[in-house]
Amino acid sequence: MASTEETKTAQVRIQLTTRYPDIELPDDPGPLLVSTGFRRYALSTLVNNLLQTERPVPFEFLINGQFLRTSIDEFLTANGISAETTLTVEYVRALIPPLHVSSYEHDDWISSVDVLSGSSPAVREAEEVSSGQERILSGGYDGLFRMWNMSNEVIATSNAPDEGGHTLAIKSVKFISPQKIASSSMDRTIRVWDYSEESATLTPTLELYGHKSSVDSIAVHSQSSRILSSSSDRSVGLWTTKKSEAPSAPENLIPKARNKRRKLSHPTPSKTGTQRGPLSLLTGHTDVVSSAIFSPTDHTVGYSASWDHTIRTWDLTTSACVDTRTTAHPLLSLAAMNGANLLAAGTSARHITMIDPRASATTIAAMTLRGHTNGVVSLAADPDSPYGLVSGSHDGTCRVWDIRSVRPGVGEVGGGQVGESVYVIPREILKEKGKSKAPVGGEGLKVFGVCWDKHVGIVSVGEDKRVQVNKAGDIIRT
Amino acid sequence: MAPTALGQKRKAVTRDVTEEDATAPGDVFRGDQLDQILSQSEDEDDQESVFSDEEDEEEESKNEADEESEITDEYGDEDTSDLKPNYTVVQDANGNPRYIYKEIDPAYDSEDSDAAEGNNTIGNIPLSFYDSYPHIGYDINGKKVMRPAKGEALDALLDSIEIPKGWTGLTDPATGKPLELSEEELDVLKKITRNEVPEDGYDPYPDMVEYFSSKTEIMPLSAAPEPKRRFVPSKHEAKRVMKIVKAIREGRIQPYRPPPEEDEGDTVIKHYDIWANEEPRADHVMHIPAPKLPPPGYDESYHPPPEYLPSKEEKATWEKEDEEDREKEFLPTDHDALRKVPGYEKFVKERFERCLDLYLAPRVRRSKLDIDPESLLPKLPDPDELRPFPTTCATIFRGHEGRVRSLSIDPTGKWLASGGDDGTVRIWELLSGKQIWSVKVASDEPANVVRWRPNAEAYILAAAAGEDIYFISPISILSPEEEEKSRAILDVGWGYAASSETNGQSKKETPAKWARPGARLEDQGALVRVTVRSTIKVITWHRRGDYLSTVSPQGQSSAVAIHTLSKHLTQLPFRRLKGLAQSAQFHPSKPVFFVATQRAIRSYDLQKQQLVKILQPGARWISSFDVHAGGDNIIVGSYDRRLLWHDLDLSTRPYKTLRYHKKAIRQVQFHHGGLPLFADASDDGSVQIFHGKVVGDLMENATIVPLKVLKGHTVKSELGVLDIDWHPRQPWLVSAGADGTCRLWN
Repeated sequence: MASTEETKTAQVRIQLTTRYPDIELPDDPGPLLVSTGFRRYALSTLVNNLLQTERPVPFEFLINGQFLRTSIDEFLTANGISAETTLTVEYVRALIPPLHVSSYEHDDWISSVDVLSGSSPAVREAEEVSSGQERILSGGYDGLFRMWNMSNEVIATSNAPDEGGHTLAIKSVKFISPQKIASSSMDRTIRVWDYSEESATLTPTLELYGHKSSVDSIAVHSQSSRILSSSSDRSVGLWTTKKSEAPSAPENLIPKARNKRRKLSHPTPSKTGTQRGPLSLLTGHTDVVSSAIFSPTDHTVGYSASWDHTIRTWDLTTSACVDTRTTAHPLLSLAAMNGANLLAAGTSARHITMIDPRASATTIAAMTLRGHTNGVVSLAADPDSPYGLVSGSHDGTCRVWDIRSVRPGVGEVGGGQVGESVYVIPREILKEKGKSKAPVGGEGLKVFGVCWDKHVGIVSVGEDKRVQVNKAGDIIRT
Repeated sequence: MAPTALGQKRKAVTRDVTEEDATAPGDVFRGDQLDQILSQSEDEDDQESVFSDEEDEEEESKNEADEESEITDEYGDEDTSDLKPNYTVVQDANGNPRYIYKEIDPAYDSEDSDAAEGNNTIGNIPLSFYDSYPHIGYDINGKKVMRPAKGEALDALLDSIEIPKGWTGLTDPATGKPLELSEEELDVLKKITRNEVPEDGYDPYPDMVEYFSSKTEIMPLSAAPEPKRRFVPSKHEAKRVMKIVKAIREGRIQPYRPPPEEDEGDTVIKHYDIWANEEPRADHVMHIPAPKLPPPGYDESYHPPPEYLPSKEEKATWEKEDEEDREKEFLPTDHDALRKVPGYEKFVKERFERCLDLYLAPRVRRSKLDIDPESLLPKLPDPDELRPFPTTCATIFRGHEGRVRSLSIDPTGKWLASGGDDGTVRIWELLSGKQIWSVKVASDEPANVVRWRPNAEAYILAAAAGEDIYFISPISILSPEEEEKSRAILDVGWGYAASSETNGQSKKETPAKWARPGARLEDQGALVRVTVRSTIKVITWHRRGDYLSTVSPQGQSSAVAIHTLSKHLTQLPFRRLKGLAQSAQFHPSKPVFFVATQRAIRSYDLQKQQLVKILQPGARWISSFDVHAGGDNIIVGSYDRRLLWHDLDLSTRPYKTLRYHKKAIRQVQFHHGGLPLFADASDDGSVQIFHGKVVGDLMENATIVPLKVLKGHTVKSELGVLDIDWHPRQPWLVSAGADGTCRLWN
């Protein structure tokens, strides 16, 4: 402590730790004495020096679960921590503000997006998709989905309604594997498509009938070739993409061509398509099911979120509802955090509720993320971090959240922990039009789908008829 | 002594003259006068002085009395010495000696103390000796005693003199001739003597002409630069001032007179404080303190902030206004410093008026009610506790050209149907705002109403345009199963209608015509068209979805119609209605039908076919009403801006009247999905959300709490929000605006 007295500025003992093995300090330096005047940048430089990185990596610092946003001195004063204790400082890679990379123009509103890259879950081995060969899939309200390469070109477009395509707007589209795509639509069907890279064609292989209303979202599990779908008919469907395994389609739901007039609205199912039914339809929700996902750890467990305020946990092998968690608001979207046992659910009440789905959890809403000004309709977890999350909302913005950056919500509705967004990604079209303020109700800017890929970045689509790609700068990872 | 002597001489002379003058003024005596004077005084100069003195006649005579006494004083002492001659020699103005004789005072020398003073001294001789003389004897000084003039003689004399015009009896000193004055001149003189203005038009107080300072020359007389001394402080003065300052400092000069030292002993005045022992007494019972004046505001400041200062126009209008009409008694005026503030001219008047007010205006003691105003307000729960309710605009549905007249959310809560002035019926995806489907039902008429059939198993939309109702099944969003069901529901009536026609029951003109709308519309899903006699404004479905009622306010006897979907049958339940029908509703559970006319709402029992109740909301023109899901409460909206809550069990009068809108209320709606909410839409472009909780307990009244005003629709040609509808389950609301948009609020 003699050294502390000699120097003019106060010093504090810190112990640097990290949870990421790739940025662990090579040899543990033990407690370090640093000036309390240090801020994030100074600490980041210090860690970079210790790591001897070639290019400086920006770091963020967590002390007692809070991000350091001020100098250490102010932080200590604000939190009432003595400067004589040894602080345990956890350092993590900083989230870099995502910058707009490119926009892909469409003719109609785009409802959903998916990305195929070396790191996406649809790819079993990273070598399958080399860098630069990433694909973006965008499904639109015109009933077609398109596949894009990274240089802003449409590679393939799905078939028109009379050739086995969707007759109504596509609501969700997902890669099952680099060669297989599933799409769901307002026309109550899920279709599975084969894609061949050589000829750049999409061939409908399977039409899945079973839902009685618009299929609003699908989730795929490529290893087991299962699809989980959620529909406005208040049911969750479990499907398989294997023709042999799937049961035959219920007859009453297959549109029949009875007269000439009806041909326009319900064209005859294409000869190429094979109609199949669901493995099971999970009923229990009392309102529109907005989203259904597989548990990231166990593909026999599914979660579904509904407008009836509940999140249900399904055992997919027995098709039984295991658990029901009731929240306070209609839920519009659902995503599972990578690694953390948390589900993020976007509500129509303009926030995101973090829900612990484990049966042992005592509180339903672990955390509330506030900041959106309209319903949150799409969520995607950060592929790199168990704490990152991106949300797309009808207010015309995507927001990036870090669930570590929280504060106790006092005096707010619901209470609990409240988080705030780290970055806001506005729609690029707003900037082009030269407007700074988003219109009421996010008119013309609503985000309908968002996807976060390790290589491509944050891809969002919406009412502005564009696929917008945002990516953190070049210097992301060491 | 010289001046005194001189004065003496003159006085002596003049006295004589006056005496003579008094006896006989006039030309005739001139010669005599002169003789007398000469005889008395050897001094030649005296003649001149007489002449000159004559002008000052009046003055002299005035002084006469004092002079006499003076003279006696002066010479009285000298009389004691007999050695001296009886005269003194005095040098007159010309240097000649002048003898002045002392006057003989008979009182001292004469032993005859009884002798009459100043009497004739001629002795005992007959007075007739003097008949030929003007005098009648001599006094003790040897002076003639003149004969007193008799009245007759004077009159005779005056008569004998012919006074020329303008005669004054004076001599013009300049010419030596008698001074003659004209009448005007005399008038002037008269006025002067009376201290009057001598001439007409003469201004005694003319404006001062400032010859030296009134006109400022622009150009200096000299181009020479101002000499330095003009602006350099004078050293000389400074020196002198310093001298004085120094003197003051040293105490040699005292700048102020020291205060006079009061003599303590003599001048102590005893003061009595008669109120010293006064004890404060309680105010009299009848005492009413004067009301306090309001404290002065910023505008009354001598240096008010600039925003309080009147502009020129304001100033002008203030000055133009009558004093009594003025809003303020004063004009705010700006002065840089308090010392520049002039006296307040209205001070006395104002004080006086205040006193008058206090004196003349009766003051009444106000009895204060000691009630906490908070306690009077009903205890309403905080709106935050009553969540959820719609607060913000989530989606705007844009696409209609012209006003959106009506909208409705389908029973599954997924789709929104809307009808507008462009004659189209559109279906939208509720959350995203994407138009999914649209049909043009009329080219020239607006689609006035759209209402979903309240049964989730089939999608049937009733839309009215003009006199037609279309039953629409929007095929493209339906599953085959649903489509079949919908078709079946709509088609089942064809057969019934056909069979009844063959039975010959349709001799009379049917109240409505059920038909197929034609291939174009049928392709798009409009499967049945019903044509009634006049324009339909309101459609309401019975909860089971088989009956629906339509209201066409202009329809007179066919104003209210009840249609049976399964039989393709239209009935007119009322032959005559009192007033114009405005709206109709089915009771949510009982076979009761409500019909609103302009002033009243009547409820009818459909089974017994009789009138149950007449509600008098007290509104002048009811626009719409809605029945609570419990069936015991009704909300009524009126064009005279009132929202009324009726409790059917309570009374026929409204339980609560809410006036929150600035303009007419067009639509009111309960949330029928179990949430205690209701809303109204108004022409002022706003939608208001209320919490309305109905408790099962009959003893307890409904709680009504205003929650939120939703603003967003723009008012176009006096029309704001035309229709609203609640989501069947969620706390979401949709509104249709005259601005061509629908909005979703959540």
